Amino acid sequence: MGRERKMTGAAGEIIASSFLKKLGYRILRSNFRTPFGEIDIVAKHKGVIVFVEVRSRTTSSFGPPYLSVTRIKQTHIIKNALSYMNRHRIINACWRIDIVSVKMDRDRKLESIELIENAVEDDHI
Amino acid sequence: MVSRIFSSCVIGIDAYEVTAEVDIGSGLPGFNIVGLPDVAIKESRDRIKAAIRNSGFSFPAKKIIVNLAPADIKKEGASFDLPIALAILSTEDVIDSSLLQEYVFLGELSLDGKVKPVNGVLPIAMALKDMGKKYLIVPKENSKEAAVVRAIGAYPVDNLKEVVDFLNKKLSIKPEDLDIEVAFKRNSRYKIDFSDVKGQEHVKRGLEVAAAGCHNILLIGPPGSGKSMLAKRLTTILSEMTLEEGLETSQIHSVAGILPANKFLVGTRPFRSPHHTISDAALLGGGTNPVPGEISLAHNGVLFMDELPEFRRNVLEVLRLPMEDGSITVARVANTVTYPAKFMLVGAMNPCPCGHFTDPKRECHCSPIKIQNYLSKISGPLLDRIDIHLEVPRLKYEHLTDKRRGEPSEEIRRRVDKAREVQKSRYKKDGIIFNAHLESKELERYCSLDKEAQELLKLAILELGISARAYDKILKVSRTIADLDGKEIIETHHISEAISYRSLDRNLWG
Repeated sequence: MGRERKMTGAAGEIIASSFLKKLGYRILRSNFRTPFGEIDIVAKHKGVIVFVEVRSRTTSSFGPPYLSVTRIKQTHIIKNALSYMNRHRIINACWRIDIVSVKMDRDRKLESIELIENAVEDDHI
Repeated sequence: MVSRIFSSCVIGIDAYEVTAEVDIGSGLPGFNIVGLPDVAIKESRDRIKAAIRNSGFSFPAKKIIVNLAPADIKKEGASFDLPIALAILSTEDVIDSSLLQEYVFLGELSLDGKVKPVNGVLPIAMALKDMGKKYLIVPKENSKEAAVVRAIGAYPVDNLKEVVDFLNKKLSIKPEDLDIEVAFKRNSRYKIDFSDVKGQEHVKRGLEVAAAGCHNILLIGPPGSGKSMLAKRLTTILSEMTLEEGLETSQIHSVAGILPANKFLVGTRPFRSPHHTISDAALLGGGTNPVPGEISLAHNGVLFMDELPEFRRNVLEVLRLPMEDGSITVARVANTVTYPAKFMLVGAMNPCPCGHFTDPKRECHCSPIKIQNYLSKISGPLLDRIDIHLEVPRLKYEHLTDKRRGEPSEEIRRRVDKAREVQKSRYKKDGIIFNAHLESKELERYCSLDKEAQELLKLAILELGISARAYDKILKVSRTIADLDGKEIIETHHISEAISYRSLDRNLWG
């Protein structure tokens, strides 16, 4: 991954964290690593554990940021989440996956931010 | 937490109770339906989600499992949308569930929460009592159909919000009130009448005989001679439908989804005329999840097959069994269902491929071999089941310009009714109603001829080369003619009229 892209991602996550806090999310962990990858943010919101995937982009040439969460990426997020709960011995909890979509300009200044609640569902599609 | 809502599904024309169970648990939010649902039901997930949101409720972001019990019956159609949506809402305590178990719910949901009409409401309403339920909540388009059944209360609803308010007693809905006798009477008027047909007196007479004895009939005539017009009017001279018959036919039409919205009860005898390209499954009923075919839609009425020789051979062959049994059993891997199919068959055909063979004015261009081929498309066994062959000649100019109207259907029907009464009382012990269903040995008992008639019949057999099979038919038809005449003994003119209805046997052509 190029330096530029890493920087964009890190900046996006910082912006997303403060955005979620304002919305009443309690941030439990950031950048939690699992065997399957990384969870950007783990938070708690109204008693539900929320795994947040942050998508940041500086250009809209490829569509809005949240479009980059493909089906395969979704299953990865689910596996990450299960792995987190396993590690922390969380059973029988309500949990969900949200996506925060951060759009910035070329100088990484925030243009718009959007939260998609319950973005990934398990519908056996 | 689990909640339960009752619904129902139809297999064949029988309704079964189905319970929509919803479990809401922890885990990644998701929405799954189990219990042998078909594609329409699986797709209902998205409809239900949108309908709940757009009705002003929130869709729970939890793990939702819907089970349609019993799990071994294959469920189809969209009528479970409403019960599933309500079951989900009741787990969220949006609905007062104290009275929930008293109702059976049916309805498809549209994305904005509107409840849309579904098929098969009448059979479900009729089976409700057996399920131990008294109240049915149905789409408003179906409520009259449900209200036909007196013992139940049918509540018409328009949208999901309305149902929730009703269950929470915030809104009162009056059950549909219907006077079934009045409604049935209103529906049992025909828009067509025999007086519309000019001339063709002997064809009308032939149809009268056919109607009186329930004989299957074949009309043979050149194009444009009015075969279809006459056949269509046959329904108007059959004895009026009883309420019981009307309910039977309505049930089948309800399952097939062809009950018109304002006419929730079939009061006139159905007239079905499938095109000759029809497949055997469409005619008999079939499909992976069986639906009734044309012969069942014609139950208690008339099945008209125009251009009979043009029908595919296998289509004609499969007709034989249901004609005998008065019902058809459709066996598929998923289900085996039986549909009633008591109908009168009316066939129509040209005398030859070009149609002008029997026309005195126009020349026929068909070679004998061509005509032979054309006629042989109707197999012997099928012809066996057709008692009357009627020639329909081209209309004469005088008839076309004639201002007088023909005899109205009502008068003809009165005679038909009388003849049918005679038959009914005669065959009380034999388990049949009509002359057409007489067996050979019963023929002997019931068809006594006077001496002259016997002579004539003998002559006909010798001179016209009439087969043994045709002999039985002539006896049966002459029995009906005598019944119309009010005579117990069959006389000469009865026999001679019956012989005149066997034109295909008389080797006139071909």
